[in-house]
Amino acid sequence: MTEVLSVEEANQDRVQTILKGFQVNWMNLRDADTGKILWQNNEDMSSPHVEHEARVPKRILKCRVVSREMNFSSIESMDKFRIEQKVLFKGRCLEEWFFEFGYVIPSSTNTWQSVIESAPESQMMPANVLNGNVVIETKFFDGDLLITTSRVRLFYV
Amino acid sequence: MMGLLNILKKLRSNPDKELRLLLLGLDNAGKTTLLKQLASEDVNHVTPTAGFNIKSVLSNGFKLNVWDIGGQRKIRPYWRNYFENTDILIYVVDCSDHQRLEETGQELAELLEDEKLRGVALLVYANKQDLATALPASEIAQHLGLHLIRDRTWQIQACVATDGTGVKEGMEWVCKNIPAKK
Repeated sequence: MTEVLSVEEANQDRVQTILKGFQVNWMNLRDADTGKILWQNNEDMSSPHVEHEARVPKRILKCRVVSREMNFSSIESMDKFRIEQKVLFKGRCLEEWFFEFGYVIPSSTNTWQSVIESAPESQMMPANVLNGNVVIETKFFDGDLLITTSRVRLFYV
Repeated sequence: MMGLLNILKKLRSNPDKELRLLLLGLDNAGKTTLLKQLASEDVNHVTPTAGFNIKSVLSNGFKLNVWDIGGQRKIRPYWRNYFENTDILIYVVDCSDHQRLEETGQELAELLEDEKLRGVALLVYANKQDLATALPASEIAQHLGLHLIRDRTWQIQACVATDGTGVKEGMEWVCKNIPAKK
């Protein structure tokens, strides 16, 4: 029993060490047809205890292809870095993207951009329905260890 | 992202569901600019990459991941961590950087000797052709010893990453040379 606990403790130490040197530097959303940025935020959105808010122009819902991009730094190296990103509507998962980065270089700054074609406009929910009900949730892991979770709630303005 | 999306559309018949392109080269070769150009993004504020930049594109169940790894000397030892499962190696050369031609040649030679990249098709972008001092692609090919390569298909493509000249042609070659099966 004590042994099990100590493994757990070691894991928590590891998480704390990684987290101390881990930061999301910015996130943005682009119209991927034109490459133009529709929304960008430069505050650390990785803080797990805060739900961040993003005011995104309504016209993003008309975009055929949207990209989500995030830039993050890590002081610690990681061997099995991966992300689970979900787009939630009232808590229900509309879209998810798992990505395995593998190795993260110590003291590195990295970006990951994902591009998904939108649902046809006829199937797209209108802005007033989506407004305030969509959350982009990103979980950062090293292997099985959850490092932190970022939640960004979208408002369409 | 149109460039990348179009690549995926051309690959519909490929049975492999996930493709991995690896973009390497010395620092300041233009790797990140090239990647941004492929996505029609603004290339005016590109800064040195101190890690990796990845673009993932999903279309009709096919996934394309392009890995751009920083080229600074202190990062190069980490390149090996990203070799596995690479479908195409794209190597970018600053053709106006005469002083580091030998260095870039050595780095490429090391890549070509690596077990994990064995047989992986190679595209060399001879970048910065808009600069007056840039060597032509044919001369770069000679410096890199490309004609001596026997164990893989390769191509060299002159380009200007900042305005997109030649970039599309290179990616068309990539499309034609995606291995049918890993």
